[in-house]
Amino acid sequence: MVVTKGASLLFIIIGLVGASISILLGFLWVPSLDPSTVNGPESFRIIYWHVSFAWCSFLAFLLLFIGSIIWYLKKDEIGWRFFSVGSDMGLLFGMGVITSGPIWGSVAWGKPWDWGDLRLNSFALLTSVALFLVLARRAQQDTNQTRDTLSIVGLFGFSLVPITAMATTWYQKQHPPIIVVSSEETGLPSDMLFVLILSFISFCFIFVGFSIITDRIHQLELKMENNQKNLDEGWLN
Amino acid sequence: MQEGDLLELKDLNVLRGSREVLKDVNFKLNYGEIVVLVGDNGSGKSTFIESCAGIVPFKNGELYFYEDEDSQNVIRNHEGRKSNIPKIGITLQKDGICGEETVEERILIASEKSSKNYDSDKLGQILSDWGLNHRKSDRVSLLSGGLKRRLSVICGLAPAILSPKPMTVLLDEPSVGLDKSARILFINWIRTLASRGHGIIIATHNNDVIKCADRIIKIEKKGKIKESIGKSEGVIVEMPTCNSSSNLTSIRHLTSWALKMEIRNPIDTVGRVTPALVALLLSFSIIEGNGPLSVDILSSLILLPAFITCIISPAIINRFNEAECGKWWHIMLGSKIRPISSFLGASMILPIPLTYLSWFILIGNKSDEYSYDTLFWLWLPPLSLITVGMASSALHFLVSDLRRSNSSAGSLLLIALIWPFLELSDALSILMTSGMSYSLSIQSPIIGCIIASVSSILIWIVVVYLPDY
Repeated sequence: MVVTKGASLLFIIIGLVGASISILLGFLWVPSLDPSTVNGPESFRIIYWHVSFAWCSFLAFLLLFIGSIIWYLKKDEIGWRFFSVGSDMGLLFGMGVITSGPIWGSVAWGKPWDWGDLRLNSFALLTSVALFLVLARRAQQDTNQTRDTLSIVGLFGFSLVPITAMATTWYQKQHPPIIVVSSEETGLPSDMLFVLILSFISFCFIFVGFSIITDRIHQLELKMENNQKNLDEGWLN
Repeated sequence: MQEGDLLELKDLNVLRGSREVLKDVNFKLNYGEIVVLVGDNGSGKSTFIESCAGIVPFKNGELYFYEDEDSQNVIRNHEGRKSNIPKIGITLQKDGICGEETVEERILIASEKSSKNYDSDKLGQILSDWGLNHRKSDRVSLLSGGLKRRLSVICGLAPAILSPKPMTVLLDEPSVGLDKSARILFINWIRTLASRGHGIIIATHNNDVIKCADRIIKIEKKGKIKESIGKSEGVIVEMPTCNSSSNLTSIRHLTSWALKMEIRNPIDTVGRVTPALVALLLSFSIIEGNGPLSVDILSSLILLPAFITCIISPAIINRFNEAECGKWWHIMLGSKIRPISSFLGASMILPIPLTYLSWFILIGNKSDEYSYDTLFWLWLPPLSLITVGMASSALHFLVSDLRRSNSSAGSLLLIALIWPFLELSDALSILMTSGMSYSLSIQSPIIGCIIASVSSILIWIVVVYLPDY
């Protein structure tokens, strides 16, 4: 337990330091964008966190999906552990995406939200599903029936991605998005890429640290609940 | 008396969380047998009863019902529900009766008789014997706790009493709330039913009921069961009989039940109309205060009241949650319950009139400014909203599967329905500006409505069929 706690805290501290350095580098080292292509180039620097949040939330949602599938098909405890960690991390990092996204969106699209953007809307939907799962898991008694229903909600969340894709494609065709940034299909400058990768690795450390802690908390809660049930039934003498 | 088995649980394992409530249970219920389940609180008696009714997920094992000696029917296994159970009688721990029903309606539904073909004298006799005949037209919510329990017990026994063929009767804590005389009557009636070949399983703590068992099953620690021979007490008494068999509880029964409940107490309609009217009045004040709005916003505001009526939680969920009434219907209808309930729970009637009302209030005498076609085709987007209502209703039903569904933020799952709404707003705005077009282009209002309906139906299919697949 002490080792787990120490390792997870170390991961989180390294991650937080790395994330702080990356945003500092984003402001102080990486050159600014051409002001003629974006409105307010300084707020554009949110991408150094936004992209990392998005990649980590993708990892979390993947974990949630794998967990939902395993529980739905096999009723295996490991599936439920993936599911629990995935939903908690999905909520944490998904909130990061949908709060930092509109800041970037205001610059790039000229509006904070675009109903025609697939990624933004998919993440918003998945984050709302993750929020539902986290709230429901805490409010419900941990029974197989609860797990079945919640794993179906997890799968429902993923079934929304193609539906969202279809809906946004149709919607975009009717409403061409407002693009303020002139599109350039060139790669990122190497210094920007370096900061992005540093930021992503740091966020991965935070992700792993929080995942270990979350999983450990769930295991302890489960153990405590079982002990309480045993006490209820007078099995402990 | 017919010999053989009525139902069988084979190698059954049931989990509650990580704890195994029933472990490696092998059990057969014979014709004419009374089996009593005993055990401490939380030992798994109700789980055993619900496993026999086929509504509890199995970790391992199978539930079989036998139509006759040769044909066995798998009802449930570890993969889920396989088929519907044949006719049974069941009394749930929490009654399973909605307070809006009358005593007579409930007993008719439970005994699976329609009001046309039942013999009122026989049902009247049953109700009289249990001291309920004078209350048969009363709503269940007006009965005292003891009378409600008596009704619940009769509803468990009535299908067997009025059936010429032996069947399974499942009774969960039937004696709780019954007075001494009712308990004696109950014991004699189940002994009489057993003498007619019906198989009865009772979960109880009551010593009088335990004494009437032919076989006692004790659910022990760690979910194992231990069998012993019972005292087989009870006297065979005179009870009504019936020679005509009745139909299985069907979708028609649930539909007519849901309609009756809504007509009697229209909480669904009122619950949907009130917020829709508030939204309409707010939209009116926005339009009045801000001068002319763009057609896009105007079309959204016109459809908003109808959209709100579609996404509100259906009242049938509250009715199902009352005293586990939904569990009773689930047992009777099996996997059909989810699609039919989500259909019955959807707002079907309100979207079209509300949209026309919205149009007349928000546009009023300015309708000349918009396409001539609009008023004629205004019904099309709200018609498509009905599919949004079905998807929303299915999502509410999915959340209601959770034990404490009221404490879950189910509305978070409704965010996906924003796309059909946006599509329909677009369709209406095109209709208002360019009129109806019959082309197959994306700019056609018809295609917009079809896209919205298809995406809602896809959500509905996922939510309705995934849980029982």
